[in-house]
Amino acid sequence: MNELVSVIGLGTVLLAAGLGLVLPRGAASGKALGAVLVAIGLGLFASRIPGLGRWGEDFVFYLLAGVTVLAALATISFRRPVYSAIWFGLSLVGTAGLLLFQGAQFLGVATIVVYAGAILVTFLFVLMLAQPEGQAPYDQFSWGPRLAGLTGALMVGVLTLAVLGVLENPDVAKRPTAPFATDELQSDILADEHMAHLGGQLFSKHLVAVEVAGTLLLVALVGTVAIVAQIRRPEHGGTTHG
Amino acid sequence: MDEQALLTNYLIVGALLFGIGLVGFFSRRNMIVMFLCAEMMLQGVSVSLVAWGRYHNDWGGQILVIFILTVAACEAAIALAVVLTLFHQSGKLDIAVWQQLREDNQAAFVDRDPSALTPKPEAQWPKLVPAGIEPELDLQEVTHRSHL
Amino acid sequence: MFEIPILMVLIPAFPLAGTIVTAVFGKWLKHEAHWPVVVSIVCSCALSLALLSQVIHEAEANPLAVGWESTFELWNWTSVPEAIARPEFAAPADGAAALPERLPFVVNVTMRSDPLTSIMLAVVTFVASLVAIYAVGYMHGDPGYWRFFTYIGLFVFSMTMLVSVSNFVLLYVFWEAVGLCSYLLVGFWYEKPAAIAAGKKAFLVNRVGDFGFALGLFLIWTTYGTLNYHDADGIAGVLGQTRLAASGGYAAGGVATVICLLLMLGACGKSAQFPLHVWLPDAMEGPTPVSALIHAATMVTAGVYMVTRCTPLFVASADAQQVVAIVGATTCALGGVIALTQTDLKRVLAYSTISQLGYMFLALGCGTLVAITAGMFHLLTHAFFKALLFLAAGSVMHAMGGIIDMRRFSGLRKLMPYTHWTFLFGGLALGGVIPFAGFWSKDAILGAVHQRGHDSALYLALYWVGMITAFLTAIYTFRAFFLTFYGPLRVPHESGHHAHESPRTMTVPLMILAAFAFGAGMWLQGPGDLAGLLGHTPSLAYQAVPRAADHGGSHLLVMTISTIFALSGVGIAAYLYLGDDALATRLARLLAPLYWLSYGKFFFDPIYNALFVWPLLVLAKASDLIDTYLIDGLVNLVGSVPPWVGARLRSLQTGMVQFYALAMVWGVVVLIVTLLIWPAIAAGSK
Repeated sequence: MNELVSVIGLGTVLLAAGLGLVLPRGAASGKALGAVLVAIGLGLFASRIPGLGRWGEDFVFYLLAGVTVLAALATISFRRPVYSAIWFGLSLVGTAGLLLFQGAQFLGVATIVVYAGAILVTFLFVLMLAQPEGQAPYDQFSWGPRLAGLTGALMVGVLTLAVLGVLENPDVAKRPTAPFATDELQSDILADEHMAHLGGQLFSKHLVAVEVAGTLLLVALVGTVAIVAQIRRPEHGGTTHG
Repeated sequence: MDEQALLTNYLIVGALLFGIGLVGFFSRRNMIVMFLCAEMMLQGVSVSLVAWGRYHNDWGGQILVIFILTVAACEAAIALAVVLTLFHQSGKLDIAVWQQLREDNQAAFVDRDPSALTPKPEAQWPKLVPAGIEPELDLQEVTHRSHL
Repeated sequence: MFEIPILMVLIPAFPLAGTIVTAVFGKWLKHEAHWPVVVSIVCSCALSLALLSQVIHEAEANPLAVGWESTFELWNWTSVPEAIARPEFAAPADGAAALPERLPFVVNVTMRSDPLTSIMLAVVTFVASLVAIYAVGYMHGDPGYWRFFTYIGLFVFSMTMLVSVSNFVLLYVFWEAVGLCSYLLVGFWYEKPAAIAAGKKAFLVNRVGDFGFALGLFLIWTTYGTLNYHDADGIAGVLGQTRLAASGGYAAGGVATVICLLLMLGACGKSAQFPLHVWLPDAMEGPTPVSALIHAATMVTAGVYMVTRCTPLFVASADAQQVVAIVGATTCALGGVIALTQTDLKRVLAYSTISQLGYMFLALGCGTLVAITAGMFHLLTHAFFKALLFLAAGSVMHAMGGIIDMRRFSGLRKLMPYTHWTFLFGGLALGGVIPFAGFWSKDAILGAVHQRGHDSALYLALYWVGMITAFLTAIYTFRAFFLTFYGPLRVPHESGHHAHESPRTMTVPLMILAAFAFGAGMWLQGPGDLAGLLGHTPSLAYQAVPRAADHGGSHLLVMTISTIFALSGVGIAAYLYLGDDALATRLARLLAPLYWLSYGKFFFDPIYNALFVWPLLVLAKASDLIDTYLIDGLVNLVGSVPPWVGARLRSLQTGMVQFYALAMVWGVVVLIVTLLIWPAIAAGSK
């Protein structure tokens, strides 16, 4: 336990320092050093996580996870918002892969379609509409990068410690194991006709929630129109700031 | 496949996505990027939920993620509307413009070192073959449109 | 006509109903607001007289073991089981074995009637009726008209309850209730600072007496295990038939003396006896009908009633009786001397009231049946003639535009003939001139004291004090009479130069009271047989109350002396104040120190101020300073901590959205560490 704490703690410190450095900080240098520190920190995390059993599975998982996390890091460290958005798209692709790897076929595809296809593209539209000249001064500076890096890294470290530490906790180990710990027993989730199962669940057990979600979409639509309709040109009475 | 190891790994990946999203949300000042980071946090949560759903052989995880997708779509729509409104008022996507919530005696956050800005390159407009009289171009107006 | 229990309930119920009606509808009734109260008090008076006749009949026809009484329980007010370990005197004779080990504390609202109660009821309601009718004229046009009658009704209710209840706790309750009414009525014209101060003074001085009274009740409770007068629920009442009939039913020695002295302290406060008499003269700031009703005829006699009621307790302690007699005689002389020099007509009457109440306590202090009945006799006649004198003084005041200083008017006999003649009747009764009421009652007291003086030098001395005071009484009464109604006609300019006799509603009650001031003494002494009737009261029928032997010869001597004193007093007053007042001035200069003492009222007020009021004010000021600077300082110090901390924390409010999100994440981190990681580490290190 203590060894785990020290390894994860060290990883957290390195991650915090690295994140503080890779964020946009004007003309200050050290981005490469930050990237190295982040990589070492992530490596320390990875060193403590258990393998999946076969090397092929491990390889696919690390590939997908690596692409996802690195793309995410690139999202927050690139200065131009358009680049950030594109890197975020790559991160979404990685996430979709991870979901597919879990057997969540529908979600994997839906993530690509909904996020990358709809939401991200809308964001890009807005970006290009509002900021056609590329980067603005405020994109070159971060607000409190060290504090933000420390907090984020601490959050990750604490969560990792919780996940790994709980597993090492003898009290937890005595609890009944997961229902499908072996390959022999076929999981319901991994069964054939995945979409049929998911749809069946969604429209039987969670029908009310689906209806509520539909209503929410409608309300959001109306709300968006209402908010945007309020926009007035500043000379016509809207308060100007900045 | 070791189900327990799979769960652990996915949870840690989810935590990483969430944490990186947090860092971005805290430090980036462009509102659009902040929303990207918020979406990234949602992705982290989605990964965790799917992993738990598989571990417990429960469809609830995936179904919850579907609802997260729905809510994220709504949130994106509203957020973009709000961002547009704010942009209309300030002409910037900078979140630091909106800090009126602070105490009276608290100094406003300003960029620490504006001189450290990289000098903005002159806008390089494509050279066209002159035809007729070239209109007088106000560079300021072109590069800094205060509103849409 | 009516059953006695119904009468007992109806007599207080009428004034209460009148009060409620006036209090609720008074604002709308405006100038008719007197009707509910006047009518209800007159009804109550008629019922009281009916009750008195029934009681006279019953007491003769169906006597009980000791005197005659009738009780009627209305409801249970409070009941505490097993409240006190059975005291030694809980049961007289051999009844102790029948009682449980612990006695309950029970207060039942029980009405009683016996001769003492019914006589008090008749006097109170009769005088109250006349005063209420008089007040219709006197208070006419006052902005607080309905308020006045509400208070009067409440007072009559409280006073009738005070004399009708059969329990010491309830006696105390209504004792305080009449005190409250007195306070409200003294301060009736609350725009006048003097009235407010007088009401406050009356209330505070009465607190001293009531504190002693309350302690006395506690001691009665621990000594006798009950606070009922009558026998109830198998427990012998303090003044009940069982205890009165048995021998040795009362505690003797120190306990008895302390009980009696504490009760006497209460009586001193309420009845304005030395040394607590200082409030009564100031209470003259109230409207004159109030002075007549409350501060002359009824409320101030509550102390006399209470001591008479508790006669069996006082009989058990000769020391306490001597104290009562000495206090009575002292007050009597003191009031007489001070009244000689006062210039305010109402204050003369107030000190005269104090002096006459002193006579009553002197009589009660003698302890013999003759003396006690004489004291009650004087209470009755005094109620009539003193109410008369006050109302007449009020009539003068009414005509003089609120001026009551005798130096500013004179010779009013032509202007106000009715007032003049009725005041003369009252003065003759107060001065003790045969055959007016005051003569008979005062003579009965002096005779009884003289009788005790046969075997006790103390009582002989007190007898001479009383006799000389009778002489002084005649002088000051007729000094006031001559100064007011004789000499050249002078009226103050406040009267508006159209001073006139008072209206009919005021003169008719005066004439009725004048008739009583003339004839009540003769009638009660002779055919009315007050002494015989009072003898049927259980407290007075108690066999341990000394019965008097024949008092023929010596009584005649007393009568002769007192008549000579009274007439010579009137003569001296006439000599000094009729015509030239140079003689009186010369006399005042001759007796300068005595005059100075009397005019300054023996300087009780400055002495009390220096002894009690100023130290308390200084203490209050010191407490105020401690409160302001020490207590408040500490509180403010504590209160300044949150703003200080807040000022430090204020710098966290940067207004940056991200900072708020960041703070939230720190909270989540702390939660995860405490809930998940720390237990895991703790479990791992085990």
